[in-house]
Amino acid sequence: MTTRQPVPWDNPEPLTGPIGVPLVDLLDRVMATGVVISGDLIIAIADVPLIRLSLHALLSSVSERVPAPWADGGPL
Amino acid sequence: MTTTRLDLDREQMGRDLVALVLTVVELLRQLMERQAIRRVEQGDLSEEQVEEIGTTLMLLDERMTELCDRHGVRPEDLNLDLGPLGSLLPRD
Repeated sequence: MTTRQPVPWDNPEPLTGPIGVPLVDLLDRVMATGVVISGDLIIAIADVPLIRLSLHALLSSVSERVPAPWADGGPL
Repeated sequence: MTTTRLDLDREQMGRDLVALVLTVVELLRQLMERQAIRRVEQGDLSEEQVEEIGTTLMLLDERMTELCDRHGVRPEDLNLDLGPLGSLLPRD
């Protein structure tokens, strides 16, 4: 596994450049704890609402706390 | 109405599109890799499951580099720079 360089607040020398964690690590951590995204999205053209997207999405990694709805190898 | 000549370099446009698609695929691949590592560390997987996950991720990684080479996309092209947020993928 690639060795992870120290996060900006770990290494001794002063902080330089954008204090940014790679977004993919952020997403990974968020998914490890689990997140619920809920909201409404209206896609409109020239102020005419065309598409409505209503979201109530749970985004989490599978663990004993958040089990997979069906056994492994179920329908994709 | 003066027609402005839009010289869309078809080749470059195609490559940019491929780079975008590969960026999304690479993002998902790295996410799955990290999730797999977390899951394996959790320890509730059987031996051959771990083995299978490992080989699958390895093959996916090889396939990814092969696709990048074929389309002339450098790996660092896939890493979007998000300004103050840093980068999309780790800059290893």
